[in-house]
This record gives sequence, structure tokens and C-alpha cells, in this order.
Amino acid sequence: MARVQRRARPARLAAAVAATALLLAACGSDDEPTSTGGQTDDTADAGGDTGATLTMWARSVTAPQTEALVEAYNATHENQIELTVVPFDSYLQKVAAAAGGRELPDLLAANVVEAPNYAQLGLWQDIGDRIDSLDHADALAPSHIDAGTVDDKRYAVPHVVDTSALYVNTKILEAAGVDPADPAPTLRALADNIATIQAANPDVQGLYVAGSCGGCLVFTIWPSIWASGGEVLGEDGTESLLDQPEALEVFEAYNQLFADGAIPEAARNEAGPTQNEPFANGQAAFSLLGSKALATIPESDALSIGVVPIPGVDGGRSSFVGGDVLGISSSSEQADAAWDFVEWTLSDEAQLEVMAKNKNLTVRTDLASNQYSEQDPRLVLLNELVGEGRTPYAGNFFQTFNDPNGPGLPLMRAGLFGDDPAAEVPELNGAVNDSLQRN
Amino acid sequence: MSAIALTRRRGRRHSIRRPRTGFLLVLPAALVAVGLFVVPLVLAARMSVSDWPLLGEPSFTGLENYRAIAGNDLVGQALGFTAKYAAVILVVLLAVALGLAMLVRRPRRGVGLLRTAFFLPAAVGLTSAALLFYELYFAGLSPVDDALTGLGLIDRPIDWLGQPGTAFLSVVIMMTWRFAGFYMLILLAGLQSIPDDVYEAARLDGANRWQTLRHVTLPLLRPSLALCTILIITGALLAFEQFYVLTNGGPDNSTVTLVIVIVREAFSFLDLGSAAAISMVVLGGLIVLNVVQLLALRRER
Amino acid sequence: MTALLTRPTAAPGAARRARHRRAGVVSGVLAALLALLFAFPLVRAAILSVTDGGGLTTDNYGKLADFGAGLPTYLWNSAVVTVITVAGSLALAIPAGYGFARYTFRGKNLIFVLILAILMIPHPTILIPLYVLLGDLGLQNTLIGVALVMIMFQLPFSVFMMRIAFSAVPEELEEAAMLDGCSETRAMLRVSLAAVVPSVVTVGLFAFFAAWNEFLTPLILLNDGSRFTLPIALVSLRSGDFGAVDLGALQAGVIVSALPCVVLFLLLQRHYVRGLLAGALRG
Repeated sequence: MARVQRRARPARLAAAVAATALLLAACGSDDEPTSTGGQTDDTADAGGDTGATLTMWARSVTAPQTEALVEAYNATHENQIELTVVPFDSYLQKVAAAAGGRELPDLLAANVVEAPNYAQLGLWQDIGDRIDSLDHADALAPSHIDAGTVDDKRYAVPHVVDTSALYVNTKILEAAGVDPADPAPTLRALADNIATIQAANPDVQGLYVAGSCGGCLVFTIWPSIWASGGEVLGEDGTESLLDQPEALEVFEAYNQLFADGAIPEAARNEAGPTQNEPFANGQAAFSLLGSKALATIPESDALSIGVVPIPGVDGGRSSFVGGDVLGISSSSEQADAAWDFVEWTLSDEAQLEVMAKNKNLTVRTDLASNQYSEQDPRLVLLNELVGEGRTPYAGNFFQTFNDPNGPGLPLMRAGLFGDDPAAEVPELNGAVNDSLQRN
Repeated sequence: MSAIALTRRRGRRHSIRRPRTGFLLVLPAALVAVGLFVVPLVLAARMSVSDWPLLGEPSFTGLENYRAIAGNDLVGQALGFTAKYAAVILVVLLAVALGLAMLVRRPRRGVGLLRTAFFLPAAVGLTSAALLFYELYFAGLSPVDDALTGLGLIDRPIDWLGQPGTAFLSVVIMMTWRFAGFYMLILLAGLQSIPDDVYEAARLDGANRWQTLRHVTLPLLRPSLALCTILIITGALLAFEQFYVLTNGGPDNSTVTLVIVIVREAFSFLDLGSAAAISMVVLGGLIVLNVVQLLALRRER
Repeated sequence: MTALLTRPTAAPGAARRARHRRAGVVSGVLAALLALLFAFPLVRAAILSVTDGGGLTTDNYGKLADFGAGLPTYLWNSAVVTVITVAGSLALAIPAGYGFARYTFRGKNLIFVLILAILMIPHPTILIPLYVLLGDLGLQNTLIGVALVMIMFQLPFSVFMMRIAFSAVPEELEEAAMLDGCSETRAMLRVSLAAVVPSVVTVGLFAFFAAWNEFLTPLILLNDGSRFTLPIALVSLRSGDFGAVDLGALQAGVIVSALPCVVLFLLLQRHYVRGLLAGALRG
């Protein structure tokens, strides 16, 4: 949507000087790619910053972060990125049409859960060697790197990470006499605390979830399964384990919360667009949300935000590492220049001065604790979760779980809101497996 | 000569109108239709008999994609729902549009204002209209609920989009709001083309309001009604945005239409072959349906 | 009901006139109520777009103006697509409608059915082949390409409307003109075109609405964010900040996008009504 304008000439000259300085500082120890795979680049001397004009697409949900990165890069580099932000719910349509017409942009970002699919479809170039050349290759959000890996070839790096957590309105908890420091070490403790809160103030909603949004539910409910020691998908992503005892136990715990009125009726049909509201308005004591909510929900007289990890039934903690990955499209003829941008977005400079400074998570685990996040312990926690959390891997993930007409949503809704989750969930699991296994 | 020409029957008219001129007049439109519709359609037809990856070479798979349609449960479900929606929206829209057209047919004080009010929604894009109503229906905010509560008809807000029945009704209401004025305008043009003397004659024959409507207005309005019917049914069978925005096919897949399935195959599974095959079947069905309608219309004439 | 403006031809009795007046009052009240009902959602959105809790605000419009590449860019792009679509639709549909209504030639029915068939293709399906095709024509990622596709999508409605309109004009009028020495074309221009002005306005108006409001076609056919049209900006506005949709700015967007359509309709309605009256007088 927003196209970042090319800078005027004098500014670009100055930018080039700055860029050189930056390159010397940040990339001084850069080596040539170590492997002799088809990637040897002749322009490595210039570091790929050769004054190329590159096109880039990103989903609208990452617009603030992506725009900030592109702006900072364009200001300090010869290369210029022309960014097009696409409405997130139309992204696949756009990518499909462009791929068919061989018109993909040089830089193609994607929802991390779709990364295996993009890689299998051949939309990205293998950038494994380039990734290896980075000093901090091992520190890149591991679950994102895994998501972009097919047959040991790596196609994408983390671009924007978003971890799920349990948000707490500490004002409501304090008013009800519940300690807001650790209100949910287990799902059972969470249930007890909500009961206490609602006994003190019956008008308060306990826990708000987006109960009719597949992408939201995998993001917020699955961490409880992991925290309980369970798995959600088989190794290669073609089998659903949502009918296994650990998952069923989690569904039953949430189902009980719903039956008790601890999850409000309205949450059942929340499709996502207004999922922040009950918490932001101070109506809900708890809400399952992503890390971005910390920057977008303002605190008020009715709301002080606390953030704790999502627990399992009897303890443990986990998180879903969502967000977007970034790759170089297979049709790009400017791979070296494109990599220059990708490499820069992973640098200390970009991660600290662009991302962390604006209260975003860093995509590097070695920067989880930095001078900006340290000012806010909630950010430290969310950053830690990038390393601890998981990103499930399946070729047909999006069409199975995110697509509102896929088989994943009915299964999870049966688990959360059905009359008999232990019976209904296994029944619906067959359709989920069919979808995961479809070619 | 003139007397003969004026009394000639319709079929003989070409004697003074050269066929070539007619063809040339139609040609530009035909060229656009061929270039931007038939050519892509042929490509889509090729997709439908192929395994068509986004990148790389497609491979011919014969009728595989068509056979898969039978095994796709969502298609059957969507077909049933789409047919039901088409039937309901056809009756509702025609009745409301005709009623509105009759109300604003005659020039009188304020009639322009009325026409504008009825037509206004048609100026709003379908996506925007759906967004407007999404907000209206949103539980807890809905003034519709307030009104019903005020009348004592319900005791708590209806979860309009949360239950299959009311979700369906919500879309029908939104679509009636959005399109009634549009079809009113088409019918109005038809009504205006009926000469006043016909009504005069009916009045002199002592016909009452209902008889006039049945035996004079409706028969003479047939071309306009046919246009409306074709547009409504076709639009309904291709329904997408209204459900996509308002219900997203939910709750629990109760409002999945054929095009939602096509979009899912094409842009979720990225299975262009399967999507094209379903599209071809839908297109074929619609063409047959509409040709039958047009033929029936012509025979009655 | 017709008391105000009917011609004084028939002289109905006093009882009949009274009955008519009563019916007129009832239908008038009913119509007014219905009009309020129809206006309600838009009026409500207009009010919500300029209010913020209690007071008046222009915040929502401010946010809209700065969104993405900026409102002026989107308005301009939408205007370009719309103007080309309207002009192209009329340029194709008027002659074609006349040709279908007045002439017999080989392949006529086939071509007509072909044009109508455009109505029956699910748009999402054909947009992918179209994307490839426009690339071959060098029109990929251009507003002209989008407009051409919109013209094609509008073709069935435009041609059907113009065919009906020309069919309704008594052919004898034109034949009289031809016998007076006019060519076929001039006969059409002088007599029939004047009689179908309302339909021309209708076809143009709907081409305008379709092009101005279309979302999927420009989204798929345009690669470059600075060429996106207003509806894409609106959808981005809704989906941009997931979980916290900005309803105020969205309402403002709906109003901004509806405004040109509403204004145009109001302006053209005068022509439209005049055309109808002219038709009635002639009849």
C-alpha cells in the first residue's frame, strides 16, 4: 500500500556515504559465501548495495515494522526498496496471480505458517549459504528458520516476530484481591482466579479469546498444548495430533472455562477484527493476544497491562512464534541487491535502532535483552518467548487452520465450545488430516 | 414504398437495414468480449484439465479435477446453500424492488427525494456495504437490537452473525438494502415505457388495482423483470463479497457459497486446476439456466 | 396519487378523486418511512465518522488522508480507472445495443449470448488468466488494463440495457427520418439516441459505480501500491491493524468512497427525470 518514495539525489549521496560507513561497521567480518553452490556472487565487493531498485511485498499486519525498516534502509543505502503493502486477507490471491504471471517482487514476505508452502511451491530462492555467512546465523528465531526450510534448503529468514501471551488487566485483579504477578501458573489456577474475580465483580469478563478465528486460536490455544507436554502436529506436518490426550485435556480445560462463564459468550463468535476491544476497554480481566498488542493497546484508568506466559493444564509455559518471514523471490534477477536488504534487516543496527526502539520484538535471540527492552520487563518476557516458543510446520497449514472454511476451525470450536469435546474433536480430526495430506 | 415499409413485419426489416452495418456496430463490443473474456476463458478451461502449479510446467490430467469435485464435500454443501440463497434473494429483491418502483413511479412532490433514498445504497460498494452492516450487526452495538429490545420482542442482543439462521438473514437484509434501489431503477424504466393510454384503457374497462397489476403492468414489464431475474439469480449464484465480509462462510461453514469454495481452492490451496474446473461447471450451469430463461421469454413473446 | 401532475384528460368523479387522495397519503407516509429506513445506515455512518464519544472530530478523516500512499493518490487512481471505464462502456454499448436491437445478421444471437456469458464467470477464476494476458499486452500493472477489464465485466449489463432501450423506441420514427433522407446512422443519432438518454445515463452511472467500488480486480491486476485504488485502501484500513479495527476511520472511508457516487447520481437524476418526462410527453 504505502510506497516508500525514492529519496532526492543529494540526500542519496549522503546516504551512500553513510551506507559505506555502516557497512564497514556492521559487515566488517563478512566473508564470501562458504559453499560453492550456485550462489557465488560477483558483486560481493559492493556488498550488493549497487543502487538497484527493488520491489517488495508485505502483509498489512506487518506494515508498521516493514515500513520503518524500508525507510531506514532507503535513507542509508544506494539500493532503494519500493514497498507495496497488501491487505493480509488478500495476500495469497495477489501472490498466486503474480506467480502465475512470473511477476513476483524481488522481496517477498509471508506469514510464517505459510513458509513451508511457499518454499515447496518454489516461490523463493535457496538462501542457505547466504544465511550461513551471517555472524549471528544461529541466533535467528529458530522456529522461523525451521518454517522456511524444506529438504534441508533454507528459503527465508525471520522478518517480524510475534509471540502469543496471556495479557492481564492488573487493575481488575488488584481490585479483586488477586496477585497480578503470577495469576496463571497453570490453566487450573487461571480458572480459580477468574472465579474469584467474577465473584467480586460479576460484570467483569474473565478470559477473552477470538473463538471464530482459526489463525487466532492456533496462536493462542496451541501454546497450552505444548506447555502441557503435548504435540499438535506430526513431524512432517501431515498428521494432526489434536485428538491426542494432551490436546483433549487442554480443550476440556478451556471448554470448562466457557461453560462456567469465565470465557464470555461473545468470544465464541469473535472473528478477530475486534478481538482487542474487551481487554482494551477494561471489560476483560484476561485476554490471549500477540506481542503487538502491547504497543497498540493504550493503558487507561481502567487498564494496566501485565503480560505472563500461556500455561499448560498443570504448569509449563510456551508460546506460538508467529509473524512473517522474508525471502528473495525465485524470479528476482537482483538477488545480491535483495540480500543486501535482507542482511541489513537482521543487523544489530536494524534490530535495535529500528525494531527494538519502537517496542517491537527482535528476530534474534541474542538481542532478546537489549537497552530498549530492558526498560520494560514485559518486552523482555515476550522477547524470551521467541526462543522458547514454537512455530508448527505443515505444507497445508494455512488452508487447514487459518482459512475460515478449513476443517481446523470447526475442530477447535468443538473443542472450546462444544458439548462433548472428548468425543467431537476426534471425530473432526479425520477431515483435518485429509486437508493436511492433500497435495 | 413508404406505406409498404411501414406495414412490413419485424422479420423483414433487414431489407432496408444492411446486415453488415449491424455487425460493424456490434464488432467493438464483440472484440472486447473475445479478447478479454473468451481468451482467458480458454486458458481457464485448459487449467481445468491440468495440474497447474503456480510456477513450472503444467501437466495434462484429463478429467481428474472434474472427478475430484464429486469427492469435495464442501462443493455439495455450497451448491445447496447457494441455491437456497438464490431462491430467497430473488423473491425478496423482486418484491421489494417492484414495490418501491410502484411507490415512486409517478411524478409528485418529494418523489425525487424518495428515489434518491432508495437508490443511495446502490452507490455504496458491495464491500463497503458489507462492512457497514458488519458493524451494525456486531453484537452489543446493534441499534437493530436496541429497537427490538425496546419493542419487547427480545430480552438480550441477538448474536446476528453467530447463528446459522440469523447469519443468513443478516446477509439477505444487507443485500436487499444494497440492491433494491438498483432493481427499482430498472423496473422504473420499464414502468415508464408503458404508455399511459394502456392504463387509461384498463381503467375504462373497470379493472381494479390488483387486476391492473396482474394483467397490464406485469406482462408489459416482462423484459425488465427478465433482466432483473437474470441479474439477481446470476449474482446470487456467484455470491462472494457479501458472505466473505459478513460471515466468512460461517458460523461453522453454514454460509459457504460456490465462489467461496472456488476462492478457497484457488487462493488457499493454490490449486488452480481444481478451482478452474469448479468454475467451468458453475459457468456451464449458469449459461444453461439463463439460455433456458431467455428462450422461455422469447417464446412467450 | 397522481393528482398533482396528471394531464387533465379523463375527468374522474369526485368520489374517485377522494379515494385517490387517501391512497396517496397512505403510500406517501409508507414511502417516507421506507426512505428513512434505507437512509439510516449511511446517515449513521456519516455521523459516526465525525464524532468521537461525545464531541465532533475530524480525526477519522485525518487518519484516512494520511493512510498509506495518501488519500489523493487513491482518489486519483480510482478516478482514472472510473473515467476510462465509463467512456469505454458507453462507446461500446451504445452502438452494440443499437446493432442488436435494429439489425439481423449472422451470428447475432451467438455474439449476444457470448456477451451475456461474461456475467456468469466467477471473477476470481478469470482474473488469473487475465493477469497473464494483460502482461502479454503490456498492460500489466496499469490503470488502463484495470479499466479494460472493468469495461469487459460491465459489458453484459451495458449492452443488455442499451438493446432494451433501443427496442423500446418505435422504429417507425427512424424509418420516417430515413425516408426524409437521413442515413441510417444519422437516423439513429437524431431520433433514437435522443430517446434513450435515460438508459445511457443509467449505463454510464453503473459503469461508474462498478469501477469506483471494485476491489478484487485492481488488487490482483496492480502490483504497485502507488497505483492502488480507493477500495483497496479501505480494505487495508480494515485489516491493517488486526484485532483493533478502526471503525471510525473505516466509516469515514465508506463515506468518502460513497460521496462521488451519490453526488453524481443526484446531478444526473435531473437529466434522468427530464428524459423520462420527454418520453412520456412524446408517448
